[in-house]
Amino acid sequence: MTVTDQSQQPTATKRRSAATDKKKSSGRMMILGFLSPTLLILIFMVAYPIISLIDYSFYNFSALNPHEGYKWAGLDNYTYLLSDKALWQRFIFTGKFVFVCVSLQMIIGIFVGYQLQKKFKGRDVIFTLLMMPMMLSPVVVGFLWRYMLNSEWGVVNYLISSVGLDKVSWLSQTTPALFAAAAADTWMWTPFIILLATAAFRGIPDTIYEAAEVDGASAAYKFFRLTLPMSAPVLFIALILRLIDSFKQYDLFFALTGGGPGSSTETVSFAVAKTAFNYFYTGEASALAVILLFIIIGLSMILVRHLNKMGDKY
Amino acid sequence: MKISTRLLSTTSALAMVLLGTSAQAETELTFVWHAGTCADALVDIAKDYPDKSVKIVPALVPYGPEWHNKIASEFAIQGDGFDFAMWDSQSTAEFAGGGHAVKLNDIFASSDVLSADLFPAASISQYGEYPDNSGDFYGLPMNQDAYGMMYRSDLFEDPAEMAAFKEKYGRELTVPQTYQEAAEVAEFFTRPDEGLYGWGQMGGREYDFATTASNSFLWSFGGELYNPETYEVQGYLNSPASIDGVQAYVDMFKFAPPGSGSWGFDEVNAAFQQGQLAMAMQWFYFNGSNADPSVNKFADGTSFGILPGAVGRDGLFRRQFSVGGQGMGINKYSKKLPELTKFMEWYFQPEQQKRYAAVCQTGLKSVLESDDWQSLNSYNAQFSTALQYLNDYWHLPQYPVLLDQLQEEISNAITGTKTVEEALTDAAKRHERTLERAGYEITRSDSTPEVPDQEITPVGTKEIIKVN
Repeated sequence: MTVTDQSQQPTATKRRSAATDKKKSSGRMMILGFLSPTLLILIFMVAYPIISLIDYSFYNFSALNPHEGYKWAGLDNYTYLLSDKALWQRFIFTGKFVFVCVSLQMIIGIFVGYQLQKKFKGRDVIFTLLMMPMMLSPVVVGFLWRYMLNSEWGVVNYLISSVGLDKVSWLSQTTPALFAAAAADTWMWTPFIILLATAAFRGIPDTIYEAAEVDGASAAYKFFRLTLPMSAPVLFIALILRLIDSFKQYDLFFALTGGGPGSSTETVSFAVAKTAFNYFYTGEASALAVILLFIIIGLSMILVRHLNKMGDKY
Repeated sequence: MKISTRLLSTTSALAMVLLGTSAQAETELTFVWHAGTCADALVDIAKDYPDKSVKIVPALVPYGPEWHNKIASEFAIQGDGFDFAMWDSQSTAEFAGGGHAVKLNDIFASSDVLSADLFPAASISQYGEYPDNSGDFYGLPMNQDAYGMMYRSDLFEDPAEMAAFKEKYGRELTVPQTYQEAAEVAEFFTRPDEGLYGWGQMGGREYDFATTASNSFLWSFGGELYNPETYEVQGYLNSPASIDGVQAYVDMFKFAPPGSGSWGFDEVNAAFQQGQLAMAMQWFYFNGSNADPSVNKFADGTSFGILPGAVGRDGLFRRQFSVGGQGMGINKYSKKLPELTKFMEWYFQPEQQKRYAAVCQTGLKSVLESDDWQSLNSYNAQFSTALQYLNDYWHLPQYPVLLDQLQEEISNAITGTKTVEEALTDAAKRHERTLERAGYEITRSDSTPEVPDQEITPVGTKEIIKVN
């Protein structure tokens, strides 16, 4: 018979629990210790600038002329901006640009990516060449396309006129300028979609396709019912990244159109940069940047939530 | 004894190394400018600066807003990332008004070499004086420039062309003295089937491309950008004379290659060099390359002149065009002012400026007035003449905002999104709002003149003054 001293049990449990607590606490401290450098960097590099940006947006001042002082503006910068018709036009233009660019990039990128997953001679060379535009600076791409689209001696109009069509003044009319910018952006960023799409398509096991073939599935059925759904999470990430990046587009327009004709190709980011570093209306630029920031955060949250649902599904 | 000898030799060696280091130590004087021939010339000349401990370091950016923004951003953080910079004449107000530029009067007072008298009075005033007529200078005329005209003299002197022009217009084919004449000549040479157009001009939305050109028309027709006494813009910028001028500018696109409404100076140069243009508005800055047969295949048949004027609705003739070039200003936050002052005392000597003037347009009076320089090429003498017809934007700290608003509205007029009157009226309203926001009090007059130049620094003459 084993005799157990019942009176000592709670003390042992307590001791064990204290030891566990101590272990937990030291574990927490260790985690905090490991995290603190990153947290400090994040606070310094992300949180502080965002808080400062929000703070600046409630003042009227110029960073170039600090001697003029900081004038409390409350919500004036926001009400002024949101009631400014010109800003809404910039939002509309940005929306059109994002829609045209991202649609073209996704369609072309997925199509080309699907072709590149197939094995054929010279595939790797073609793949590498296709990636090249993505490696250029947007300003360089802007200037490059500016010359290509020159109405008189640009290669684009040369090709158009060689088939008997009239030359187009690409950069001095609003609608052609939108399509010109979208073409340049698509040329530059479709490779990014191709890269991710190819990676996603190649990640699908061959056995699934083989099973589908056994069942007599057509090529279209395989693409729409197997390939696309199974690579949807990766393609969706590509979509999110392109949406956010296109929404922030500034440097391409800077080099390609300068925002013109008039202000018809000014994106919201273009307006932020101009207000901040050309006009030096620092408070107003901060308010505009805050509006843009919240739009991008909102858009990202919706898309990320959708992405998470998609992750659960597949 | 041995120890002390070793110590002595070690100390001596160390001292030699340190002294050697000190003798080789370089003071770097960094300058910001837009990349191009003139910045290269400055760097090249500076290599011969006798004080080898001083090195001139360029920080070059492309022409346009990046150039302004680079300087302004450094001033905003009160940084010493550069010691001096070349900025547009109209930026002097912005940078001096913000308290970021060194006032040069103090340097003039303490220097045996540098003084305001070294430069033409009008030039130092254009490039460096703030406020206007105050006698306070913040910039030196580093690189002067003016809008000019280049034209195909081979076409103008072709007997067949001359006869055909006379038959059509009833007068001799000559280099135009007025924009009214220029429109006729441009129309005559506009032959799209032959790939030839009569006129080339900038109309781009970027930086100051459209407005430096449109202002040259606006002023010549008797218009003004604003009233500097009352700060009224409405009634001046959109006065009938201003509208006449900008309308004449917009109408000239009829004789220019399609799509040239988005052109900057590169495109104008390229079109001219390919033989597409009979005449073009262009900065004197580019004459060197446009006169070079290795760059321009029509260089032998190219001549350079002064831009036309116009006979305004009041019957008076005016010739006014945009000033170009840059003044040299000093960063107030630079810690190298003594070294920089010594460099400037050397650089603004005639010997160095003659070298500079061989490729760019100096601001030094003694060189500008010398026969050697005036006869150096086919356009220097005309440049000297052009200096008397220069006009400039607003010399106000709000210049970048006013410029961008006017650029946008002129661009709208070029594309036809708005009529010239609508564009100028909208620009005037936006300008007044900008000035009011900056604290200017606009004094409203009972009436505004039809031809504002009659009130503000009048330049009209009854006779057409021929210069080309």
